[in-house]
Amino acid sequence: MSPILEVRSITKRFGGLLAVHDVDFTVEQGSITAMIGPNGAGKTTAFNCVTGLYPVTAGDIVFEGHSIVGLPPHRIAREGITRTFQNIRLFSFMTATDNVMVGEHCRMKSGVFGSMLRLPRQRHEEREVEGRAVNALRTLGLERFADVYARNLPYGLQRRLEIARALASGPRLLLLDEPAAGLNPQEKVELMGLISRMREGGLTIFLIEHDMRLVMGISDRVVVLDHGEKIADGAPVDVRNNQRVIEAYLGAGATTAGVSA
Amino acid sequence: MPDGVATPPLEERPLAPEEVGVDLPFTAAEAAAEEGQAVFWIFVVAGLVFLVAGWLLPWFVELTSNGVGFSPQDAVSSAPTGIGTVLVYVIGVAMVANIAGAISDVLAVHWHIGRPWRMERTRAVLALAGAISAFSIWVLIGVYREEDLFGHLSAFASADGAIWMTLTGMLVLALAHGFREQVARHPDQFFAGVFLLFGALVPVIFGNQQATEVLTWAAGAAAVYTLLALGLNVVVGFAGLLDLGYAAFFAIGAYTAGSMASPRHGLHIPFWVIVFVAVAVAALFGAVLGAPTLRLRGDYLAIVTLGFGEIIPNAAQNNLFSQTGGPNGITGIRHPDIFGFNFGQNPRYYYWSLLFVIVLVILAFSNLQRSRLGRAWVAIREDEIAAAATGINTVSTKLLAFAIGASVSGLAGSFYGAQLGVVTPEDFEFAVSVTALTTVVLGGLGSNTGAALGGILVSFIIFWVLPHLQEWMTTVGQTTGITSLGTINYSTYTYIVYGLILISIMLLRPGGLLPSKARKVELQAGHESESLAAVQGVV
Repeated sequence: MSPILEVRSITKRFGGLLAVHDVDFTVEQGSITAMIGPNGAGKTTAFNCVTGLYPVTAGDIVFEGHSIVGLPPHRIAREGITRTFQNIRLFSFMTATDNVMVGEHCRMKSGVFGSMLRLPRQRHEEREVEGRAVNALRTLGLERFADVYARNLPYGLQRRLEIARALASGPRLLLLDEPAAGLNPQEKVELMGLISRMREGGLTIFLIEHDMRLVMGISDRVVVLDHGEKIADGAPVDVRNNQRVIEAYLGAGATTAGVSA
Repeated sequence: MPDGVATPPLEERPLAPEEVGVDLPFTAAEAAAEEGQAVFWIFVVAGLVFLVAGWLLPWFVELTSNGVGFSPQDAVSSAPTGIGTVLVYVIGVAMVANIAGAISDVLAVHWHIGRPWRMERTRAVLALAGAISAFSIWVLIGVYREEDLFGHLSAFASADGAIWMTLTGMLVLALAHGFREQVARHPDQFFAGVFLLFGALVPVIFGNQQATEVLTWAAGAAAVYTLLALGLNVVVGFAGLLDLGYAAFFAIGAYTAGSMASPRHGLHIPFWVIVFVAVAVAALFGAVLGAPTLRLRGDYLAIVTLGFGEIIPNAAQNNLFSQTGGPNGITGIRHPDIFGFNFGQNPRYYYWSLLFVIVLVILAFSNLQRSRLGRAWVAIREDEIAAAATGINTVSTKLLAFAIGASVSGLAGSFYGAQLGVVTPEDFEFAVSVTALTTVVLGGLGSNTGAALGGILVSFIIFWVLPHLQEWMTTVGQTTGITSLGTINYSTYTYIVYGLILISIMLLRPGGLLPSKARKVELQAGHESESLAAVQGVV
């Protein structure tokens, strides 16, 4: 397997705060890679750096062989990386269908004048995109809610709609920021099924998650961050037994169990 | 997702705190139905106003300008015996049915009682019958007076104005009732059609020369403000960028067109070419002035645009590059001509041209709203970070909003200068920006029809109602015997009246006359803290 994403010693500094420090890892093509770490470890910051929402202070990010550092977020989305957000960020006063149609924005071609005059080509494109959006909603079990405003959807479905929107532009790498947060056990099982299914469809998935059963159950590889630094990287089993990881989660001394304070 | 995945029923959804007690539509279809309903109501109200005004107008004109008072009532005596009487009764019955129908509609909606469709059909037929009868009486009077009907059209007598207004009221009511579903589905298109059809007749309502001039002048000003409202709505309503300096682009359009049509450059370019240049220049400035504001949102953006609104008229005042003529502005602007016919000073030709332009703009913007770009604007308004991460180029999309908004303003400006023959810096003061914003907010942010309605309403209040307040109140005072009504100096109170009208409209309809489907408005929502600019500002 070849890496689809290579993060090469990126650093992100907010004033005096070193949110991400000299972190590097790779995401293999067609894999499910998870990033874990205690709160404030810099996981979301790393995501924001990859998707271009934050400019990196130092380091390089290579996607499919070329650097994407410095590209604006929409260019990175067009390159083939889309994401969901930890706190759901749907367009709340747009319908589910429109949310997914926005996802296709960067693939659409019609311009200002074509849209103003409603030229045949623009109408054709609109119809096609709407059809694809409805199909996408169907595959995610949201068909019934096509016309419902995003804000009126139940929480679990909002999470799913966000994934549908991220998939609409046909990405090759999907970043999920805590996709299971706030889901009930049944929804979590459904989510795991959905993630595996997407991977089977050829998509590479990179996710941040706190739910260890989910992470250990589906990931091929786990990257662990703590205080902005990478402390472990490897197969789920290795990471689970890594001493630094246990210390990061349970505090120093947990492994030596009171022998030395 | 595999088939058969159980999705929780909708009833279980948690209510958002802001949702409790707020009556918001659940689906887009519901919202569209509500919007269509609102458009329908506006047509019903407009139709009723025209109907009643049509009956009152002759009485009014007679008192104010010694015109020949003539109303449908008078047709009994002047039209050929028999037929005329019958027709007047038909009109009367149709009017009563319409008014009763409209009132019962209001009550039915108020008490949540549905109305059977059959009744609406009946009322549509009645209204049409009334309109046809009114038209017949008008023809009969023409025949009776042995005047050529079509010669008559050009020299409307006040009587015809009255009947025309009755007729318009009937037709609007009939259309609104008969095509209720279509109105609900395509409010913008319907509005544009009715607007063009009946708006075109405004300069011929009054037979009285002076009254016509005044009304047409007011209608022309209303048309300019309607265009401004439509353009500003793209920036504020669609893209959610609060712009307090919109008059700057109005000025740029007016100055560009004005200097090209004035003798100062010795150019002899037809006005219809100049218009496109003015639009392009205004659009360019829209993008140029929009660029520095890209990282700003909400209040901060508004302050910067406020600055532009001050810079442009001041630059013009200071005779920038010796091109703007200083405080005197640009004078001697040629009036446009078409096929050798010069518009001259007659306001009605400008008004008609503007009306046509407005309809085109409404249709174009309505299409734009339902396109890729329209969705992108809403997405940016709702959540800029998500929009960027989803693949929307926020920079170009925002600049396009500024440019498209400014281009319409430039269009309005070129007509404005061409009509007056002169543009001066004080035509583009802050008050113009504020009035434009008022019209958009009052009309309903994010809705084309709403913005246009707001533009018409506010400018008619400013340019027609307020200047006539004294005259009208004197007349009413004389008629009703309460002469003290006429002795008040109303000019002292115009702004109080204006303010009271605005306040009462906003109290009655908080979202504007015709709020857009998604009522979440940049002005009301405090999402600035989440903006991309704020995030990047930390760096």
